[in-house]
Amino acid sequence: MINYALKRGALALLVAFTVSLATFFLLNFSTDPAEVIAGEDAEPEVVEVIREQYGFNRPLIVQYGSWLKGLSQGDFGESYYWRRPVLDLVIEHAPVTIQLALMAVFVTIVVALPLAIFAAMKPNSIVDRMALSTAVAAQAIPNFWLGLLFIILFAVTFPIFPVSGDSSFAHFIMPAIVLGTSSVPAVMRLARTGLLDVLSSDYIRTARSKGYRGTTLLVRHALRNAMLPVVSVMAIQLGHKLGGSVVVESVFALNGLGRLALDSILGSDVPTVQMLVFVFALIFVLLTFLSDILNAWIDPRMRLR
Amino acid sequence: MHRFMRAISVLFVVMVFLISSQAQHARAGKADDTLVVAFKSAILSLDYVFTVKREYVILSEMIDDGLFYTDPDSLKPVPLAAKSYERVSDTQIDVELREGITFHDGSSFSADDVVYTYRFLLDPKNKTKRGTIYGRWLKGVEKTGPYSVRFTLKYPYPLAVQALGRGVPLRKAGAYDGVEAGKIPAGNIHTGIGPYKVTEFHAGKQTTLERHEGYYQSSPKGRAKIGKVIIRTIPDWSTQQAELFSGGVNWMFSVPTDIAVNAGSLPMVKFISGPSMRVGFIILDAGGYTDPDGPLTKLEVRRALIHAIDREAIVKYLVKGQSSVIDAACHPLQFGCLDDVRKYKFDPELARRKLAEAGYPDGIKLDFWAYREKEVAEAIAADLEKAGVRVNFRYVKLPTLNKARRKRQIESYFGTWASGSVADVAAIASRHWSKNTDRDFSRDPRVSEYMNAAERVSDPAKREQLYKKALQLIADQAYWVPLYAFTLNYLTSPDVDFQAPKDGFPRLYLVGWK
Repeated sequence: MINYALKRGALALLVAFTVSLATFFLLNFSTDPAEVIAGEDAEPEVVEVIREQYGFNRPLIVQYGSWLKGLSQGDFGESYYWRRPVLDLVIEHAPVTIQLALMAVFVTIVVALPLAIFAAMKPNSIVDRMALSTAVAAQAIPNFWLGLLFIILFAVTFPIFPVSGDSSFAHFIMPAIVLGTSSVPAVMRLARTGLLDVLSSDYIRTARSKGYRGTTLLVRHALRNAMLPVVSVMAIQLGHKLGGSVVVESVFALNGLGRLALDSILGSDVPTVQMLVFVFALIFVLLTFLSDILNAWIDPRMRLR
Repeated sequence: MHRFMRAISVLFVVMVFLISSQAQHARAGKADDTLVVAFKSAILSLDYVFTVKREYVILSEMIDDGLFYTDPDSLKPVPLAAKSYERVSDTQIDVELREGITFHDGSSFSADDVVYTYRFLLDPKNKTKRGTIYGRWLKGVEKTGPYSVRFTLKYPYPLAVQALGRGVPLRKAGAYDGVEAGKIPAGNIHTGIGPYKVTEFHAGKQTTLERHEGYYQSSPKGRAKIGKVIIRTIPDWSTQQAELFSGGVNWMFSVPTDIAVNAGSLPMVKFISGPSMRVGFIILDAGGYTDPDGPLTKLEVRRALIHAIDREAIVKYLVKGQSSVIDAACHPLQFGCLDDVRKYKFDPELARRKLAEAGYPDGIKLDFWAYREKEVAEAIAADLEKAGVRVNFRYVKLPTLNKARRKRQIESYFGTWASGSVADVAAIASRHWSKNTDRDFSRDPRVSEYMNAAERVSDPAKREQLYKKALQLIADQAYWVPLYAFTLNYLTSPDVDFQAPKDGFPRLYLVGWK
């Protein structure tokens, strides 16, 4: 088990490193950070000062080497825009994204599981079809559109929630619903399939013969086993939420990692983008790793692969 | 079960009530004497000395004062922290300061602060963006009395007084002590002498300003009309609109025309369209940098291109608002921008004939670059196609365009320039027609000679004459396709008293309530 964990950990670091390398060169080849920082009408002398001030006049490989050297000493560099260590920026912006991601995952569970249960209880019935249709619709609706629709409905027409910002719990409700909705189909389908499999298994038939029915049978016997794959999928979905909230954070003006990522990409703030990509890659890899470990713990056969 | 459902319903109603009451608290407006402003771009530093971006300038005008400022009506520089000034010679300006000015922290303002501010700015090791530009013409500053200073210029620079105004916010002596040379300060420490003081600053998120009650009464800017201003960063236009509709925001600017027109039709929104100092134009490779014998080196081809573009229609149907067609290579409000230049009417048939006369009966192939206003650029390309020009339209990011221009690889491009809202042709000419600029594709030394000469004489009449010659030459030789002066759209709450500024530079300390 320890060997397995170490192998996965080393792979995780390799992935994160490769992603950071690709990010650095792609960003620098696609644009000139000095020009972006200087602004549209900047004088050439100003652009040159910025180039010198930020060290853009050094060869790219030297710049990347300098970043790597800093990284090995725990220094992730300084943001071109904020003029602050990027690690501080990430730590400062992370709580908003973490709160949003956890709330979104909660929304996903609260919506997807009841839908899955209803669907699995009566497979191929009208209830099942409606649950599946709802899930497909949730997947098909783009985040930004649903976000704007929610704002118009629940912040402008019926001013229940605040439109934007992140200063209170209420500010997170609409973004969490929007972000959580997109994961409903994946979780709902998996839970439904799992439940259908479990419900047709021998031990459930035995439980039925013993007189277990309804909620007791579903919760105590079927759901617990059907949920095992769902738990590992939820770990991946949490990774998606932590790294994929760029659009939702922009629409609702939340100052989380997604907004920071968007601003940094638009502003060619290479150190911040690199750090964020590194962090997002690590989150994904870590959650996938945890999911693998969980699966290996559940199913000993996986440890031998 | 029934009791349980009832409890859930009650809980839901209570939650909705609590959340909606929180949402109500976020609102502001006339009742709280709080103006909430939405900016699309984030404010990351309060120090304008280190940046040149528009949002920072708007904020700086509220919290900082310079020696002079641009009067919103006359668009001429008038003394602000300065009481008076005198041009002692072509290269020396003596400035008398107002007494009784205090910084936001209560300390007194004097000549020492002015000398400190300018010396810090001009010191190359501090690498301020303003200092880089000012260092071209400003040699130094010295104290001549407790409330008087003398500026020495490297050469007679007609825009010196204007530049000593908005461009340089005055700082307290020692304000940058402890800041490593060449490093930009974090920006959360700020004390200025402007009509508002910063009471809260969350970089990238929100800045709260309150009226500076100790603001000097003799200031021509006047006392700030609104007690509190909150500047919020909201990157999405739709979200800004929704905030405006729900009362969470009172003022938006630089709104795209289609959004502004639609939102402006609603009763809870006021749409104001004002002029902008930004102009749009196409620069043509008349000098043959991309091809020494290329079609654009021929005068009749360049003229044909101007005749081919329906600028009136572009302004009327695409840009809208307060935009207008321009004929000279400058903004009509700028000093020296005379309209007495050759004009070209829209006539695609004439354009075709001119191309044929120039030896291109089958039209020409043209690389046309653009980096913004895509729909306008596409309309231009479509017009050119109708006149027989086979357009290779290249829509790219600005750094890509700049790089290609530096390498002289651009045959023609749609450029824009806002002149920093300075109402003088020098603000556009120096960047586009000076000797070493990569934006001058004409290779005509006469243009840069006239333009450079106009920047080095103080006599307004002489300057006007020089600009007239240069602008007539540009129009006559069709080095540029002058397109239009931009418009700037604002959306406000109906109770906000805001007048669109002539120069496209909103002065928020003048905003009040109806």
